[in-house]
Amino acid sequence: MEYSICTIAPIVLLPFFAFVINAFIVKRFTNIAVAISCFSIFGSFLFAARIFNDFVFGVYSAGFHVHKVFTWFDISATGLPFKVDMGFYIDNMSATMLLMVTGVATLIHVFSTFYMHDDKRYGRFFVYLSLFTSAMLGLVLSDNLLSVFIFWELMGFCSYSLIGFYYEKEGAGDASIKAFMTTRVGDVFFLFGIVILWSVIGSVSFVEIYKAISAMKLQGLTVLGFPLATVAAASVFMGTVGKSAQVPLQVWLPDAMWGPTPCSALIHAATMVAAGVYLSLRMYPLMEAGHMMTVISYIGAITAFGAATIALIQTDIKAVLAFSTISQLGYMVMGIGVGAYNASFMHLITHAVFKACLFLAAGSVIHSLHDHHTHSHVQEMPRMGGLRKKLPFTFIAMMCCTLAIAGIPFFSGFVSKDRILGDALYMAMKHSSYIPVAVLGFGAALLTAFYMFRMMFLTFFGEPRDKELHDHCHHEHLSWNQNIPLLILTVFTLGGWYCGSIMGQPFGKIATERYEWFQTLIEKPDVAKFKDYYKDNLIGGKTRPSISTEKSVYDENGGLSEEQAHHVHHAHHLGAIFSVIIAFFGVFLAFLAYIRKAIDPGKIVNAFSGWSRALQNKYYFDHFYKKILIHKILLRLNNFLAWLDLGIYDRYVIDGTEKVNSYMFQFAKWFDNLWIDSILVDGTGASVRLFNVVLRTVQSGSIQFYFIVILAVLTGYIIAI
Amino acid sequence: MINLYSYLGLSFVMFLSGIIVLVARKNIIAMLLGIELVLNAAGINFIAYTRFSNANLDGHIFTLFIIVVAAAEAAVGLAIAIRFFQIKETIHIDDAVTLQG
Amino acid sequence: MFLKFLFICSSLAVLFGSLMVACTKDIMHSCIYLFFCLLGVAGLYLTLNADFVAATQLVVYAGGIVILMVFATMLTGGSAFQAHNKFGFKKIPMMGSRETYIIGFISAFLFIAITFKLLLNLKEGLTPLSGQMPFETVRIIGHKLVTDHVLPFEISSVLLLGALVGAAMIARPRRG
Repeated sequence: MEYSICTIAPIVLLPFFAFVINAFIVKRFTNIAVAISCFSIFGSFLFAARIFNDFVFGVYSAGFHVHKVFTWFDISATGLPFKVDMGFYIDNMSATMLLMVTGVATLIHVFSTFYMHDDKRYGRFFVYLSLFTSAMLGLVLSDNLLSVFIFWELMGFCSYSLIGFYYEKEGAGDASIKAFMTTRVGDVFFLFGIVILWSVIGSVSFVEIYKAISAMKLQGLTVLGFPLATVAAASVFMGTVGKSAQVPLQVWLPDAMWGPTPCSALIHAATMVAAGVYLSLRMYPLMEAGHMMTVISYIGAITAFGAATIALIQTDIKAVLAFSTISQLGYMVMGIGVGAYNASFMHLITHAVFKACLFLAAGSVIHSLHDHHTHSHVQEMPRMGGLRKKLPFTFIAMMCCTLAIAGIPFFSGFVSKDRILGDALYMAMKHSSYIPVAVLGFGAALLTAFYMFRMMFLTFFGEPRDKELHDHCHHEHLSWNQNIPLLILTVFTLGGWYCGSIMGQPFGKIATERYEWFQTLIEKPDVAKFKDYYKDNLIGGKTRPSISTEKSVYDENGGLSEEQAHHVHHAHHLGAIFSVIIAFFGVFLAFLAYIRKAIDPGKIVNAFSGWSRALQNKYYFDHFYKKILIHKILLRLNNFLAWLDLGIYDRYVIDGTEKVNSYMFQFAKWFDNLWIDSILVDGTGASVRLFNVVLRTVQSGSIQFYFIVILAVLTGYIIAI
Repeated sequence: MINLYSYLGLSFVMFLSGIIVLVARKNIIAMLLGIELVLNAAGINFIAYTRFSNANLDGHIFTLFIIVVAAAEAAVGLAIAIRFFQIKETIHIDDAVTLQG
Repeated sequence: MFLKFLFICSSLAVLFGSLMVACTKDIMHSCIYLFFCLLGVAGLYLTLNADFVAATQLVVYAGGIVILMVFATMLTGGSAFQAHNKFGFKKIPMMGSRETYIIGFISAFLFIAITFKLLLNLKEGLTPLSGQMPFETVRIIGHKLVTDHVLPFEISSVLLLGALVGAAMIARPRRG
């Protein structure tokens, strides 16, 4: 199979061109612009589906990838070994990712035509969506860290404009700046990591980095006394921390819900936060080489658990979902840390699907609840309740997603989360240092089940708590662009799509040759394989199978020895049983608290008032940043710099030069007066005035004077001959 | 005796009148009359040279084209004059100074 | 004899008409003098064996353009309306100033005199080429127009169309 640029580039270029065109026509032709956005993203979905079909449904083996490059710039002639190739790198992981991003983004576009239709900036929203999606697709297709960084920043900008979409509201503006600045902290580290890698390896291409790692190039080098690989890996991982909202940079994501709900769906599911995890997955060999795994798993576990606890007491339906996103992202990062590479990626995909669906369903709920007193939509769960009968379809969709995220068997979340937890358990059994990770992971699973069902019970069950609002809520009028995306996403929350073992034999080839497609097709980048590696030129050229052409048969033990494999399986079985029990227990607790009212949540909150206040304030992270970091440190630094500027620089440097200047000035004054002013300036002026007089007479504007001049010239001409 | 120079002399007088009209009169329509005079002087020259110098009648055709161009010019010029009058309430050439800068 | 008579009448009309166009106060009178002048030109064409051009001259100039001029003069208020003069004499408001007249005369005279001097050096053309001159010019002109001069002919048609449409567009009163 040949891949030319024509079949790859449209994936990213179609939405981008839609953005460019729409940016110009959106004011006059809003509906056309919206149609262009939707169809372009659908077009790139088709291209992505074709690539996914080729890669995953059995044309190639697991290690196959397409890599096409062109040289962007090359300054190796100057003696510096810097050369940047831009290009596309597609392997099974990016093929899957592309399908997920384009698919989810298409559905979000369609849903947005429903949700944003009455908004006064309806068209502009789609302009941003197109750019956002195209940036994410570009990131997924990138073959090097530099272009990843470019698209990364582009996404940062898009999230900034989408979070601040309702910029009339003060909170939205603050939230957008907060999101931008917080992720920027991570981005600076990420850029630093890129520079380190570039200076050592001379290239920022993934493949070159893999090669360098396999050739032990990073070994023995240090930066400020730390091993270079660790510094580089930590810096790159800080990018993930910022983008994927891990502790301690998670503060922006809850505020991101100021944006319109479909954009929250895009940020939380398909694009923004997924990019961070995707980067860490791509840089997995670097993380391993830098011995970052324990740190990563701790950060992930703390994030997963901490966010889950905060979600317990949130009353805003979108805030619950926002914290659940942070929590699930914590799972993914934890999965990377404990070595569950493909489980982590799988969770990225499954989470994207069910989280998009949850946000769209929440959007439906919010859209149908309109407060006629304040003329705004209601997001507060205490004012909801009993919506099950009013919004049956949304209820079903949201229920499926909640079951998925809570880790109930037969839904997608179970399949992926269970594997991460199983691996965490295995690591805990192997190394005692991982025990807290596993404990926090399982604890977060319990909390997840609890708060998600709390949200469901508060929203859809029981008696309506705000009677007036409930009465005003119009019944679902099944419009296609609202419900088709929900339906499709709901279907894909079923676990069978992601694991061949539950559904029986879903796709012919996968079932016969590959037992579980995620596990066999997504594999860790094996750096050893990249030693003798070549790449294709971007333009033209035939794509040959690059690494191993032989079909990889599913390896029951995943390359482990018999005994290790036994332990892994044991841990996985144990983990599965644990997580199912824990999930059901969480659901049961929520049931007791919010349906049966056997437990009064208010009493518990009162009993642990200190804790609940900490949760209300999101563990004081915002306070810390605002009071300590900004007011105490940054403002003082600011004042210090101002003092430096005024007291030192102005006083000594500037005033000191003044003396010298005054002498210079005396001379310059004399020179100026005599030569410049009286001769050059006034002389020029006088000559200009002279010409002016002549020219003004000639340029009278009187056509008859011109006739006379013409005649005079003609006469002179005739005399001359 | 009627020879080429009598025709040329006549056309010169006509041309002179046209030039004087163009230079001296301040009325736009009068200036258009002057242009007609100049064009006709040219036409007389063409015909006269055809008669006395060579007889291949190209001069006649040129004169015909001159008449055509004069007609077109008169139509457009007068339209402009009328439009100008509608706007400025005058057709004095010294009032046409909007483009003078 | 008749030719000489026609020439004298025509040349008198041309001389008188053209000078009076330059010197009359009233623009309407100027138009009438121009009419005589153009009639004289047509007579001159007849003396030069150019019957078709003479006819065209009569039809287009005398019949068309002068009438157009008269109408334009009337539409712009005739002579009474533009009675103000910025530079010239108050008494002859239609004319330019004395200076412009002097300059005009001098420069035109210079131009013509010098050109005349050049032309007088030519020795040919003193007698008409009567033998070669075709008597009936219409057929030849028609033939030439659609063979040798077909391109200018077509272009002049476009020009006329453009002038027509343009004149209509310009003179059309604007609404709103």
